Amino acid sequence: MGVIEIEGLHKEYAKLRGGRTVAIQGLDLSVPTGGVFGFLGPNGAGKTTTIRCLLGLVRPSAGRMTLMGADVQRDLPSVIARVGSIVEAPAMFPRFTGRRNLEILARIHGEGATAIDAALERVGLTDRAKDRVKTYSLGMKQRLAIAATLLRDPALLILDEPANGLDPAGIVEVRELVRSLGAEGRTIFISSHILSEVQQTADHVAIVAKGKLITSGPVDEVLTTGGRGLLVKVADLEAGRRVLTEAQMSVAPAGGALKVDVPTEQAERVSRTLAEAGLFVTELRPDEVDLETVFLELTKDQGVGD
Amino acid sequence: MRLFRSEFLRARSRRLVPMVIVGGLLAVFVSLGLAAINSSPPSQASLEKAQTEYDQQLQRCLSGKYLGRNGELPPGYDTLEEFCRDHSGPYDLDGMQLRDLPEVLQGIATFVILLGALLGASLGGADWTNNTITTLLTWEPRRIKVLLTRALVVVLFAFAITIALQAVFAAVFWMGAAIRGTTAFTPSDTWSDIGQTLLRTSVVSTAFALIALSIAMIGRSTVSSLGALVGYLILFEAVIAGFRPSIQGWLVVRAGIVVVSQTPILDYRAGAYYSSTSPDPLVLMSVARANAVVGVYVVVLLVLSLLVFRRRDVS
Repeated sequence: MGVIEIEGLHKEYAKLRGGRTVAIQGLDLSVPTGGVFGFLGPNGAGKTTTIRCLLGLVRPSAGRMTLMGADVQRDLPSVIARVGSIVEAPAMFPRFTGRRNLEILARIHGEGATAIDAALERVGLTDRAKDRVKTYSLGMKQRLAIAATLLRDPALLILDEPANGLDPAGIVEVRELVRSLGAEGRTIFISSHILSEVQQTADHVAIVAKGKLITSGPVDEVLTTGGRGLLVKVADLEAGRRVLTEAQMSVAPAGGALKVDVPTEQAERVSRTLAEAGLFVTELRPDEVDLETVFLELTKDQGVGD
Repeated sequence: MRLFRSEFLRARSRRLVPMVIVGGLLAVFVSLGLAAINSSPPSQASLEKAQTEYDQQLQRCLSGKYLGRNGELPPGYDTLEEFCRDHSGPYDLDGMQLRDLPEVLQGIATFVILLGALLGASLGGADWTNNTITTLLTWEPRRIKVLLTRALVVVLFAFAITIALQAVFAAVFWMGAAIRGTTAFTPSDTWSDIGQTLLRTSVVSTAFALIALSIAMIGRSTVSSLGALVGYLILFEAVIAGFRPSIQGWLVVRAGIVVVSQTPILDYRAGAYYSSTSPDPLVLMSVARANAVVGVYVVVLLVLSLLVFRRRDVS
């Protein structure tokens, strides 16, 4: 059983002028224990609503969810102490110091100064702990929010768009932090629409669009669904294309190279075929498909961006 | 207990709390300072004259001369002596007089009650305004526990702050009267009156803090709470009560005033009490009813806010 299990999650909102908005429609998801799990989708895909449902902030219209084995709607309080979370923007009292914000939260679970000091140290905010949060940059606020989640030494961290609005340096900071937390054996459930970011940190991903799950699995497997191939460069591209086509391979020009639609394991076959025809390969490499390409490919039928 | 400690720290850290305390102390010292400057201790001769006048008035009153038909005490009074002490006085004596303190405290009760409402609205609405309610609920998802704990903290803060400010007011007034006015003609039970007025005002102020907290939790902001209270004051307590006096018996601000002053609201349109030929005035709100009205408003709004807070999505 995964650390998060979602079955048939459905959430509708009533509109002010009548009618209903469907935010999530029958979402099924299983998040394995340990590692970083990327929850991907465009804006409005239902990522934040799913997270709010998981944390008991929003009541689902239908469906069942468990968090660390506990039914969210009945037993959430029994596991919440082991779950750290940030939902959307980090929400802290701007006029309080960073430390005071943490003290208020720490008291809820009886944590003291030691846990606060350790959390501040972990996110590199010890020097700014006595400054008011309103003087913090967005990156610092994000790190403070992460420090708050660490006060409880959580087994599961749920981070909603942690890199949102950050500058490149802030993104790198948060990425490193997420990686190191994941390496400690915690499960990190991270939602994002910045796909390159997730590709660098996640072990598993799920892609959602319009409140539905499109695909999920280990990152490598999901990347494969976007179609892999080989990029080949030879001196005479036209001749190379003809030879490979005659050898029953699907070939298409790709810039100054040829894209051969075969598994990467067949690189030797491609090279030999060309060599036997007197065409010598100057470059042969896998055609790396990034998550963004896969995402756009998988969601093109979902009307994303309409 | 842990959540209470957290909520207490959160409330203690709010900028509004020191602002209310410092602002309240400033208002006390400035207003009573001005009163003391404009007051001067009465001369021995004027004190003696006032004493004679007071004794005469008190005797006339104790003879039942000022009572209404059939020698009945007006509503709100249990004994003739109590009534006479309130209605006899050295009226020619100017300046600060300690015997006036209970009435002065009733006069400032409106501001004290408003302070309570402000505290309740702010302590209830701040989390919504800053969106920290999301953070809080991801730490403690039991919403009823969250709201009841918060209500307890609001009760403590509103009661402690308002009683402390009133106590300071009473002490400064007493010093002002002793130095720049007079403590003569002060009935022996004045300090008891003062203590009871302080307590009643703080209890009503705390009740209004809970009402404001409940509205803030329903409206999800401090502004909505204060706006609703101001709207209610204008619409119901001023406009509608003006057109339909019979509704006064159901209005919470009037009920609060009755609780503080222990003086019922009478409808004199039916007849003046002191006229021997007119019928008794209609009691629109007795003290007992006022206590009940304040209690009902607090309980109903708190229960409503609990139901709404428990049920609604936080997004």
